[in-house]
Amino acid sequence: MKYITTIDEQEFVVEILDEEHIIVNGETCSVNFESISGESVFSLLIDGKSYEAYVYEGDFGWEVLLQGSLYPATVVDEREHRLRSTFGSSPAQGGEFYLKAPMPGLVVDVPVDEGDEVNEGDVLLILESMKMQNELKSPRAGKIVRMRVKVGDNVERRQTLLSVV
Amino acid sequence: MFNKVLIANRGEIAVRVLRACRELGLETVAVYSEADRQALHVRYADEAYLLGPAPSRDSYLRGDKIVEIAKKTGAGAIHPGYGFLAERADFAQAVIDEDIAFIGPKPSSIAAMGDKGVARATVRSAGIPVVPGTEAEGSLRDDELLAVAPEIGFPLLIKATAGGGGKGMREVRDLEEMPLLLTSARREAEAAFGDGNVYLEKLVEGARHIEFQILADTHGNVIHLGERECSLQRRHQKLLEESPSPFVDEALRQQMGEVAVRAAQSVEYVNAGTIEFLVDGEKNFYFLEMNTRLQVEHPITEAVTGVDIVKEQIRVARGRTLKHTQADIQMKGWAIECRVNAEDPYNGFMPSTGYISNILLPTGPGVRVDTGVYPGFEISPYYDSLISKLIVFGETRAEVILRMRRALEEYKIVGVRTNIPFHQNMMDSHRFMGGQFDTQFVEKRFSMERADHGRASSPHIAAIMATLVAHQQTQRSAHVIQRNERDTSNWKWMGRWERIHR
Repeated sequence: MKYITTIDEQEFVVEILDEEHIIVNGETCSVNFESISGESVFSLLIDGKSYEAYVYEGDFGWEVLLQGSLYPATVVDEREHRLRSTFGSSPAQGGEFYLKAPMPGLVVDVPVDEGDEVNEGDVLLILESMKMQNELKSPRAGKIVRMRVKVGDNVERRQTLLSVV
Repeated sequence: MFNKVLIANRGEIAVRVLRACRELGLETVAVYSEADRQALHVRYADEAYLLGPAPSRDSYLRGDKIVEIAKKTGAGAIHPGYGFLAERADFAQAVIDEDIAFIGPKPSSIAAMGDKGVARATVRSAGIPVVPGTEAEGSLRDDELLAVAPEIGFPLLIKATAGGGGKGMREVRDLEEMPLLLTSARREAEAAFGDGNVYLEKLVEGARHIEFQILADTHGNVIHLGERECSLQRRHQKLLEESPSPFVDEALRQQMGEVAVRAAQSVEYVNAGTIEFLVDGEKNFYFLEMNTRLQVEHPITEAVTGVDIVKEQIRVARGRTLKHTQADIQMKGWAIECRVNAEDPYNGFMPSTGYISNILLPTGPGVRVDTGVYPGFEISPYYDSLISKLIVFGETRAEVILRMRRALEEYKIVGVRTNIPFHQNMMDSHRFMGGQFDTQFVEKRFSMERADHGRASSPHIAAIMATLVAHQQTQRSAHVIQRNERDTSNWKWMGRWERIHR
């Protein structure tokens, strides 16, 4: 199985030969890869060198936290990669943005109303959690549609609060 | 003389106090909220009693219930920890009224220092320099604050009168933005302390935040245990502290230490307390406030002085004299504390909640971890985000920075995102290594970009690991989908698959 993995616009072609051998950008390496007690911490032995990192599945791909640095990575297999290069990059940029609660908390302020035009970086909502007031900002310009919460509401993690189109 | 202590707190500090009590052979009583039934302090204490629902005002702020429990259990003393009721004079008074010892200062000192306005007026009359502000003017209304603000000058700070820890604090650049900031500061102060009063203070730019640990007994002895450098803050929350400060020489230490002792004496202070100063580039220092309680960052002072501050607190509360005189106190070596918070430094330090599924603690020479959590514990949204404190000590600052780097790399917490990568970046920062920073450093001049610190980058290793995890996941889901090809159930099969791949 061959994968194309991209980090910081740098492409790595990783072919998995068997449980213990991979080819990275044309170079064969012997690997031993284990999850530490079934968790998101992984140990990699590669040609004798030992590494440990967190690997998380994020909203837009993978995130690898290695030696104090975060590497956002996208991993696609050969077939998908061919499709993407034929039809252009896949996830559409437009569409509706759903603002989701990053943690459970209390809505203390909603400075925008349905129908408001907002710019990138504008504060959409203030969520109090862990005794801190956290400003949730718009990732892009657009118009507020579907306000689903009001001041005083308690919300759960990942609950959709409002949408921007 | 008491031999049973109630600890009116939760988290790592409740555990810290429990440990001191246990070492002194004192019995311990824990109190807890519905969210904390499984917390470490409940498990470690000799006795534990429920206070109420998770929100602080229904549990850890219920002073009446806490005093009731102390009476019922025969606890002869209450240790308030930090936060919650630690700086509430009315609570300390209620404790004393029941003939229970309050392990902290007298209610009158808490009141004098706890109201920041009165505190500043008191120390100023003792000849101690303070930062210009609306000190000693009592609680002003918004229109009064707006009127006086231009006299103090911008930028300035709105601070909660009952405050601490950056709650209810706002930085104001001009008069125009001030009304909104006043509203939000009051709201946050009201939620955190049950007191929405605020005051104004000039913002000293390029300043360092340096504080002195004080110990005082009931026999009139007051000593200081040297300074702590606390300039590395974000939203006025300390993130990392060290002792000694790379900025303070012996002459300045003596001078500031004497002033700190005098400030404590000006309110007839007893027990452990901390005098916070702002120090500008010319080494002029101003009294900022006094924290009339044990500080979060007390362990770094313990590491360089060898004094167990919590045990000293208990000793003082038992009416004994301090174990040490000023001449006994020598600062030896260096110590750094990193506050490990459930906050994601890659996402605007947004709090992260959830179940901690696994923890690997750093250990080895010169490492201390004060923590209140363990695998299986849930980080809830009700309390602050501090998970643990990683304290590292050694002979020199350079050795301690290198030791902290290795300890941070060892420390693994699975289940919630933490700010450990922030600390790792800080340890690599040339400005931090050179001791070149002020209170604005984290917010204005520090970035999480690895290139800024010239640190080694290993994208190919990250790429390999991401690919292998993605591959495992694809393989696993492919197998689960092909259900009809196996006669055993998917769950049984999953178990086998995991055993094989463990």
